[in-house]
Amino acid sequence: MSAVLAASADAAPDAAGDAAGSAADTAARYRDHLLATLGAAPAVRVAPPAEHPARAWARSGLMTLCGAADGAPQLSVLPLTALADGALAALASLAPHADLADQRGAALLAERAALMGLQRRGATSAGGACRLLRAADGLLALSLPRDDDWSLLPAWLEAPAADWAAVEAAVREREVDELVARGRLLGLALAASRVEAAPAPWLRVHAGRSWPGVLAARPAPLVVDLSSLWAGPLCSQLLQRCGAEVVKVESTARPDGARRGSAPFFDLLHAGKRSVALDLHSARGRVQLLALLRRADIVIEASRPRALRQMGIDAEALLREKLDLSWIAIHGYGRDEPQAQWIAYGDDAGVAAGLCAAQQLAGAAPCFIGDAIADPLTGLHAALAAWASHAGGGGRLIALSLHEVARQAVQFEAPRDAAGWCARRRDWQAELRPGDERAPQARRVHATAAAFGADTDAVLARLGAC
Amino acid sequence: MATALKPGARFKSAVCETQVMVVKAPAGEHDLRCGGAEMIAPMATGSGEPDPAFASETLIGKRYVNADESLELLCTKGGKGSLSLGSTPLEVKQAKQLPSSD
Repeated sequence: MSAVLAASADAAPDAAGDAAGSAADTAARYRDHLLATLGAAPAVRVAPPAEHPARAWARSGLMTLCGAADGAPQLSVLPLTALADGALAALASLAPHADLADQRGAALLAERAALMGLQRRGATSAGGACRLLRAADGLLALSLPRDDDWSLLPAWLEAPAADWAAVEAAVREREVDELVARGRLLGLALAASRVEAAPAPWLRVHAGRSWPGVLAARPAPLVVDLSSLWAGPLCSQLLQRCGAEVVKVESTARPDGARRGSAPFFDLLHAGKRSVALDLHSARGRVQLLALLRRADIVIEASRPRALRQMGIDAEALLREKLDLSWIAIHGYGRDEPQAQWIAYGDDAGVAAGLCAAQQLAGAAPCFIGDAIADPLTGLHAALAAWASHAGGGGRLIALSLHEVARQAVQFEAPRDAAGWCARRRDWQAELRPGDERAPQARRVHATAAAFGADTDAVLARLGAC
Repeated sequence: MATALKPGARFKSAVCETQVMVVKAPAGEHDLRCGGAEMIAPMATGSGEPDPAFASETLIGKRYVNADESLELLCTKGGKGSLSLGSTPLEVKQAKQLPSSD
């Protein structure tokens, strides 16, 4: 690995002091860390489950998703389930009236795999679209979730590549950084597998007010959600549990691709949301979208900034117009150039953040950790940021990225060196008890999602956006 | 003058900021232009202004195709000129559908 991980003072107040006795309180410490970032001091803090991260990992079902298909399930050396529990506890602490009591942060990470029956496949992601590839000087992850993505490979490799075997052969003699740079230019989702030393924030406030110390009760927000797939829809689904009304807006030409995926998973994330479909290629559709955005208290979007600008949507201008708006932008790598142009999915962003490299530092074979785990982790953190911003009066553009949320998860209370990672792996392995390992579970799917565009007319009429 | 267009090859406009990478192209030589002027190698030096008839600009990240989509270019840097094959303008390719899952 190219860099040795150093714990940042900010992200890891208890680094290396993570004595065995306190590991079960990781989720509570992470909750407090997140609340501190938001300047929030709720009167009552909801307690997350107190469970050793290793046992929580096995019980969540995520362990069955890690490791070679024909090998034993692997422990993650990161407390990912505890961090998810801590993030949900932070949200519940800020939203005391939310319907979150039956939710478990750890379970949110594994539920797609449960509904789709996914299994571990080692250097292939559980979902199947992402692979770890060995280049001359290290590993990289490449996601090809669409057939059309393959059409970019001859330009990427300057050689034909019709299948994964050809890709593996073509990258073997080349250097990771060159492959990644060239692939990003082409719009491929790919990343080097590395643990990075520089601390990453889990969110960035790009415009607007600093965080308030006091949170006041506000009416339930209207959320306009332009996002797709997993992170953004999970974010708005959790906001719905906090009392928000959610309007999902899709383009008639380019609907959320998840509609063609697992129906129970789509229902789980979308039941109860209104579905609005707009022709965003037409001037009328764009005017309608702008009218909806002007009525929103919270906007969730996961587009590259240039895509919205090319459509005439300017987040900063809307914030100047509507002073209590909270705009939540979810990116792969962030909003600044050049990262704003890079695309990412949950598996490759996790590898970029060091999930796989940390595993190697600890002496384990490289494999994917969980199922596109940066997606649900980011959705959970985005919901917390959105709710905190709204409850604190709004007026912010907050950007989160799959890469930075996952990177912060790698850095939280991280060991200082390879010996520390190895020791953690050994200690955590010893915590596991017979029967801890379970299959992934999903929340119950109570209702079906609204059909595509089912609420377009009603919502436009009610919100005066005709 | 015409040039062979190999997948992965990069060109820049002689008369504006536009840069492209070839995604795919039919075999043979092609008269690839931007702003009405023949496109040049990335390190070559251009001069002049786009022909007003070919100045409807390129956008970074967009893919440009000919009528039967046998030629496809990715715009890696936007500029004032527009892309053409000879005098036939290239069109913006529709955005890819979103994947069903990752």
